Amino acid sequence: MINRLEATQYLVQQLSDEPVIASCGNPKFDLFTAAAERKANFYMWNSMGMASSIGLGLAMARPDKKVIILDGDGAILMNLNSLTTAASKAPSNLAHIIWDNEQYQLTGGQPTHTGEKADLGTIARGAGFNKVLTTDTMAAFKKAVSQILSKPGPWILVAKIDSAGALGRPPKSPVYIKNQFMEALLG
Amino acid sequence: MEWPEKIVSVLKANDICSISFVPDGVIGKTLKIAEKDPYFHFTTLAREEEGIGIISGEYFGGRYGVLMMQNAGLGNCVNALASLAIPYQVPFLILISQRGELGEFHACHVTMGRATRKILDSMGIQHFTLHREDNLETILNGAIKTAYASYQPVAVILPTTLVGWKDEK
Repeated sequence: MINRLEATQYLVQQLSDEPVIASCGNPKFDLFTAAAERKANFYMWNSMGMASSIGLGLAMARPDKKVIILDGDGAILMNLNSLTTAASKAPSNLAHIIWDNEQYQLTGGQPTHTGEKADLGTIARGAGFNKVLTTDTMAAFKKAVSQILSKPGPWILVAKIDSAGALGRPPKSPVYIKNQFMEALLG
Repeated sequence: MEWPEKIVSVLKANDICSISFVPDGVIGKTLKIAEKDPYFHFTTLAREEEGIGIISGEYFGGRYGVLMMQNAGLGNCVNALASLAIPYQVPFLILISQRGELGEFHACHVTMGRATRKILDSMGIQHFTLHREDNLETILNGAIKTAYASYQPVAVILPTTLVGWKDEK
């Protein structure tokens, strides 16, 4: 099983100035713990499910940048149709990582449908992605990260993670977050 | 120029190069004009809410977008508008084809017709209605300018007084 914080720390160590969109809840908490000083981090408060769409828009507008999305199973289940849109537009610079702990960890561990019958990798393939990786060990995750960062996508990487919580708390001002992020992208 | 041509020329004049949409008959007429110009990029949305995220992402990367949809889709957008576009201050135009008012032929559009402006008002989103072709460009240009100046989404409504309604009863 993968630990989300450890995996996030490994991921950001491989990055330079690539923009990272982090979904509300634990993905953004761990991104902040892993790389608080990075300006190219976008921290979502609320708008659950929108990470995949924000990432798609940014990837289409900025083909010069590899765009990384850090999503959760609960969040992507809320915006599954966005996978069909992203697969149709298919920007090659998009890398969508989905942390899948099969639960709404933040709200008390209620199971999501991925803990029952839904399989996100199969759903992504059905939506039209043909570069889909599923990993459940840190070794496999590291190998997958090297692939999604070095080769054209669009990529979906489903990482099966443990149920650890997250302690990081990024800045709360939405405008501050946006300005930092846009400064990193536009100067 | 008729209203679809006028809308498309105002979009281009305001550097709006990306069109995210869920089509209806009215939006379709606008798209037909825009599709002739390679300046525009098009994203077909499976659900309107996606458009708020996509246009936000495009804006962060330095490109302006417009969301085109029927008012039926506004309900699908509410949380993304309230918790992403408004607090993060993402300026863009929402072009809404308005069902449920003058000449509506089906009851299932009427409630959303009554609710559209109230939903926008309740979130503090400014909205303007294009009733006539002769001042359309002035209102649309002004609405876009207000969006950019306030760093907020602004809605422009296309009513049946401008676009007509179906003969169906």
